[in-house]
Amino acid sequence: MRRCYECAQKEPASPCVECKDFIQQGPLRRVPSPPTRILLEDEQGKKYPADILALNTTEFGLETEAPVPGRYVIRLQENLWIEVAGVPLKGKNNVHVFDILSVHRKQGTARRLNNEVYQLLAGSTGQLVAEISQHLPEHLQDLVREKLLAELEKSELISAIRVGKVLKYEGGRFRCLSGQADMDLPMEEAEKLMRQATRHAEHRREVIISADGQKVFDFHGVPFDHRSGGLLAFDITEVIEKEKKIHRQEMEAYREAMSAVTGGRLHLVNSEETEKLLSEGVEMAKGEAMQAHDIPKARQVLRESLPSIFSHRQHAIALCLSEAQANVLKHAGGGCWQARQAGNLVRIIVQDRGSGIKTSELARATLMQHYSTKNSMGCGFTLMLYYADSLYLNTGPSGTTLVLDFGNVRTDRLDLEK
Amino acid sequence: MLKIEVDVDPGVRRVVLNGELDMETIALLQEVVGKEGEHTLELDLSGVSFVDSTGLKGLLDINNNWQQKGGQLLILHPQPDVAEVMQLVGLDKLLTQNGALTGKKR
Repeated sequence: MRRCYECAQKEPASPCVECKDFIQQGPLRRVPSPPTRILLEDEQGKKYPADILALNTTEFGLETEAPVPGRYVIRLQENLWIEVAGVPLKGKNNVHVFDILSVHRKQGTARRLNNEVYQLLAGSTGQLVAEISQHLPEHLQDLVREKLLAELEKSELISAIRVGKVLKYEGGRFRCLSGQADMDLPMEEAEKLMRQATRHAEHRREVIISADGQKVFDFHGVPFDHRSGGLLAFDITEVIEKEKKIHRQEMEAYREAMSAVTGGRLHLVNSEETEKLLSEGVEMAKGEAMQAHDIPKARQVLRESLPSIFSHRQHAIALCLSEAQANVLKHAGGGCWQARQAGNLVRIIVQDRGSGIKTSELARATLMQHYSTKNSMGCGFTLMLYYADSLYLNTGPSGTTLVLDFGNVRTDRLDLEK
Repeated sequence: MLKIEVDVDPGVRRVVLNGELDMETIALLQEVVGKEGEHTLELDLSGVSFVDSTGLKGLLDINNNWQQKGGQLLILHPQPDVAEVMQLVGLDKLLTQNGALTGKKR
């Protein structure tokens, strides 16, 4: 990210759009030609014209006079607006990357521009829905398809639905219309659902676990009239298995991605690796992070115990310690810290027993400027990424451990004092 | 620790800070400068050796509050370490554009 600083000084004339560090190049990147003109509106309603130089589903590259950092709204239509935040460290002069914080549509809020992944998946799902709804009475087909697609759209795992069964319900009896005939369904539950759907004349959906706990079904009841209706049943056991697998793969992908985008500085580590990091070297100082006063106290204790070979890094270490403690106080209610020395390395460890950073929030929480789930500036991690030589993060439902390493040699940094 | 000295001249409230700006001390400062009054608020940071992101957020809030009331905030003489942190999060640019940051060097 600091490359943009360097570039602004060395090559002020080269355009950001052509730079591979600007907006990640890939199939989702678009460069509108000519640039699309939009308006950025700040919290006070002040408007700044901006040109979209490049975009992908999660960020814009804009040329604008609007101050960065800052949060803005882009109104595209009456029912479609996008919240963005300028990223000071990406871009130069009047060109900056703006992260898409949220996209508001009439139908709801999303984190990205367009779910292209869903578009890809919709092909096969649309077919499945058409197949299982073709046996329904004609006047209901469209309605059922629409409802089903809407329901399916909510699931990101639709590709895992392989087994479906369509039954007609009439006066307490079921008749199989299509789908996998040998699929055993918990019929008692199915009848209860259909009774409710027909009685209230509305679509019902329920997730039912079989009596032996081995299978999980997703039931949709669609009423035709007061005594008959259609039941669509999906075996989603595999979906749930797949969800777990995807979670593991996601973590693996995050590990690699985080390490790559931070130039190898930020590492997601497992408990075993964390234990190793915690045991290396000799303890220099430690303390708590239970209240605001513990933050200046920790800096004081750290300064007193820091060997003189690290004195030129004192500000960086103290700042990162304070940022990490502040995170613990804001998000986990409290924790503890320690400083260790291993040769020419100072290691700061800050731990809490909070509920961890959710996988879905992880990248944003650590990498995105000004992203904060709490009311703060959200740049603590940006500062830590800048000042620490290496960061190791272990997070889970039983707590978070952050390890920050500082060498006694100041790593290659830009001279910010122009 | 944060020591706050306030000096009021016609139209200008001068606040000289000595110490550190963080989660613990920012509330003190916000209390002192929170009340409406003069047109210009000057914050002299030459005695401030440390500001973290919570402190920066506090300065940004003070700037926004003061501006909403039609006044202006001037941040004077930040030390090099503090100026660097302000620059890293882009606060210097924001404050400069709003006319709030002057005199980087002592």
